[in-house]
Amino acid sequence: MEGFLGGLAILVDPWVMFMVFLGTVLGIFVGALPGISGSTTIALMLPMTIAMGPIPAICFLGAIYCAANFGGSITAIMVNAPGDPSASATALEGYKMAEKGQAGLALGMSAVSSAIGGIFSIFVLIIAAPLLARAAYSFGPPEYFALAVFGLSMCAAIGGDSAVKNLIAAALGVLIATVGMDLTTGVERFAFGIDELADGIKFVPVLIGLFAVGEMLDQVVRRAEKAKIIAMDAARVPGMAEFRKCNRSIWIGSGIGTFIGALPALGATTAALIGYNETRRWSKHKEEFGKGSIEGVAGPEAANNAAVGGSMVPTLALGIPGSATTAIILAALIVQGVRPGPHLFTEQPTLLYAVFASMLAANLFYLALGLYMAKFFARISLVPPAILWPFVFVLSIIGAYGPDQSMGDVVIMLVAGVVGFLFRRTGFSPAPLIMGLVLGGKMEETLKQSLIIFGDDVSMFATRPIAMALLSITAIGLFWPLIARFWRMLGVQR
Amino acid sequence: MRPARNPNHAIAASIAAVAFAAIAATFTFEPVPPGLPGLGAVEFPRLVSAILFLLALILGLTAASPTSEDDAPRISSRAWLIFALCLGFLPVMEIVGMIPAIPLFLLVVGLLWGGTAWPTLALSALGMGIAIWIIFVKIFRLTLPKGWLVTLLGF
Amino acid sequence: MTFMLKRRTLARLGFGAGAVLAAPGLARAQGGFPERVVEVVTHAGVGGGTDITARMMMVQAPSEFKQEFVVVNRTAGSGAQALQYLASKPADGHTIILVTQTHLLTQIRNRNVPQFSELVPLVRATDDPQLVLVRRESPFRTAADLVAAGKQRSLRFGGTHVGGVDHIAIFSFGRAAGMQQPTLVPFRGGGEIVINLVGGNTDSALVNPAEAEAQLRSGEVRPLLALSEKRLAGFPDLPTAKEAGIDCVASTVRGFCVLRGTPEDRVARLEQGLLRAMSGPIFKTYLENTGQSPDSVVGRAAWGAQLQAFHESGREALQALGLLR
Repeated sequence: MEGFLGGLAILVDPWVMFMVFLGTVLGIFVGALPGISGSTTIALMLPMTIAMGPIPAICFLGAIYCAANFGGSITAIMVNAPGDPSASATALEGYKMAEKGQAGLALGMSAVSSAIGGIFSIFVLIIAAPLLARAAYSFGPPEYFALAVFGLSMCAAIGGDSAVKNLIAAALGVLIATVGMDLTTGVERFAFGIDELADGIKFVPVLIGLFAVGEMLDQVVRRAEKAKIIAMDAARVPGMAEFRKCNRSIWIGSGIGTFIGALPALGATTAALIGYNETRRWSKHKEEFGKGSIEGVAGPEAANNAAVGGSMVPTLALGIPGSATTAIILAALIVQGVRPGPHLFTEQPTLLYAVFASMLAANLFYLALGLYMAKFFARISLVPPAILWPFVFVLSIIGAYGPDQSMGDVVIMLVAGVVGFLFRRTGFSPAPLIMGLVLGGKMEETLKQSLIIFGDDVSMFATRPIAMALLSITAIGLFWPLIARFWRMLGVQR
Repeated sequence: MRPARNPNHAIAASIAAVAFAAIAATFTFEPVPPGLPGLGAVEFPRLVSAILFLLALILGLTAASPTSEDDAPRISSRAWLIFALCLGFLPVMEIVGMIPAIPLFLLVVGLLWGGTAWPTLALSALGMGIAIWIIFVKIFRLTLPKGWLVTLLGF
Repeated sequence: MTFMLKRRTLARLGFGAGAVLAAPGLARAQGGFPERVVEVVTHAGVGGGTDITARMMMVQAPSEFKQEFVVVNRTAGSGAQALQYLASKPADGHTIILVTQTHLLTQIRNRNVPQFSELVPLVRATDDPQLVLVRRESPFRTAADLVAAGKQRSLRFGGTHVGGVDHIAIFSFGRAAGMQQPTLVPFRGGGEIVINLVGGNTDSALVNPAEAEAQLRSGEVRPLLALSEKRLAGFPDLPTAKEAGIDCVASTVRGFCVLRGTPEDRVARLEQGLLRAMSGPIFKTYLENTGQSPDSVVGRAAWGAQLQAFHESGREALQALGLLR
């Protein structure tokens, strides 16, 4: 209790609060910019925070992490360019809403659901971190395999104009995920002796190309068309009616995001995609999905921000990072002399609760900023297309080049852009392709790891209850329409 | 309007070609080192490619109405010119560097795009170029490509 | 991604002031080398363990050399692109590379990258010995139990990818102990290796103490052996493999090199300057907090000898594993 109050005391410490506010503003900014991610920023800031002392330093970096995940949704909604890979699921519905002139609604909903997801995960972190962390040990390759299958099982239903096209896009995504060195055999696949391909195709250039450049090329062709956006509506922010509609999506997203974030091997991008799947599955307005559904913004946004709190679970309670960003935050903690692990909760509760309190504050800061700024961001829709879209193209180039300073990534991004353009013209959707790319690689890798662990005996999967449970849920979900029809037939006969 | 034909045939053919090329490429992989347990390197990609091939066949046999003008508007010659400029951005960037190439690209493509007066375009192109330079180069210290012409001149 | 540590920024934050006083006028006496920004090439992405090592070194290096330092991340090809970047620059000491065992393995497997003989060692930055770990409930109470079981069946060891540094270390350990060739279960990084060890998916793993620090403290994993030359300060009761009669050492090392052809006086200047920069309080604290030995930092003689030894044993192990064609 003393530690808890000591931690909360930072909320009235002006210096720490200033650092949290600074971190939030910086985080939103870099999150929105393709090319500079939250993790890059935290790595760059790391040496500068050494002199600050542990609490302000960790609070500052934590605030960047929280806010960057939200910031990614701004560019995703406004120009279809996810500023952060985890915002790609947001772009699916958010940009469609912006096209309908509902940019303000999408941005406002993104801010609110992000904050609810983020705060929910922090409370879970406070109450159940050590407990939830134990779950990480129960998740080995067989369980991750089952989870990847579960995530992929929905891809036929999501996106384009027919199930076959969705499956084709998903298979293409899985195929792209096999490029590069195979973890379990060390063999280079589809690399053709090119170093950039030998390391595998990264998400960032593919996502930026598929979404932002694909859209830009499409806009080039539609240049002559009349602007469809109704300017007056663009700035409207969501009200009570919208929140009531999205209530369920937000809680689904928050729960899924926290759980997936807490699993060390999966991150915010996976959380957002599965959050999108499940939001759609449980929605009462399925028909709106793919045409700009506000629930389709709320679910994944809640999920990817809940994954932030979730990924702090293994980082703080096990000393094992749950994402690229928490790996750097872990390094920052260690450099400050803080040793994460179960004992952190008993030995340094003040520091721990200070971290929680600062993350809470960061979520509230970006909620306020996000709602306040939504009207201004929404005005991006009013920028003349002759200025906006060439600029999006330039930002995409920097976005692909930035993270690894590789021209190879720029080329991959442009190829993905052409694919995204052709997809738009032929009734395909990028959504299943991304799911294949993100989950397919995981699926193959964990299957092969499982087989090594099981000594090539597939039947050993039966000895893993969690994996079997997940696979059963997947099967029920897939065959639900059949089961439901059978049920109804029985009802009619009776 | 385009001739009324089933657009799925062309799509299916190109998907099948990709799947076929992928299967062919798996035969060029180096062999798996001896004595490793578990699945090898080629089985999974081959399986996925085979599924892709099958799906392409199904798509090819599915009837579809011709692509509407709304989904896929005709690509005008000016649109092709902008595509070419997008591609040309890379070599220009290699020569003069990324930062000078950006306002140039924004201005030229903006003019071709139409609908906005050139002084506005020139001003915004310059402003955005400077903003990118300040944010990415000065604040975040990203080393953007400099271009050999710039290196030659000794900057 | 590049990042500069400005001397001004550092001074404002309160570091570096001591180091400036400690090295009066050295740069001027040496005729002005380095005369421009020194680039540090690494194969790690921003925020990776190796990248952080470079950045920690750079906190005090600028005041030592009176020059700015920049990290250049060239991630592709397991060090191949970093080596090629180094070779594309003149051999004048203004480009230094952060070398790990990964680079040496890449050189052995890929003849098209600048080879080991092209590198001139400067200083070692970190030397992180590995421990042989088992989980708490494991039936193997001692190293002898583990070795005895390993003679009966092939044990499953968690490690990084096939043909990587861990694979070589596990193979060498198994051979030195006279066990059946262990089965590698490949994972992405130390965190997953530790989790799967605790979760019971692998029999054992070779891990740096810092990677499993929380699990070691809570007793969820038990160390059986240290694969170091001497007993580790943090584990005074833990026998080394050599004491147990297993002739095997394995550690994660990182250090700096320049391209062959760099003038001797510059090599000496870089060696001395980097040694001094990494003897400062910031780097010392970093080593201490990440559980690495404070005598990690050594000069080029010892560093070069270690690289040479790994170059030879690595080639031999890759050959024995059938990974060299």
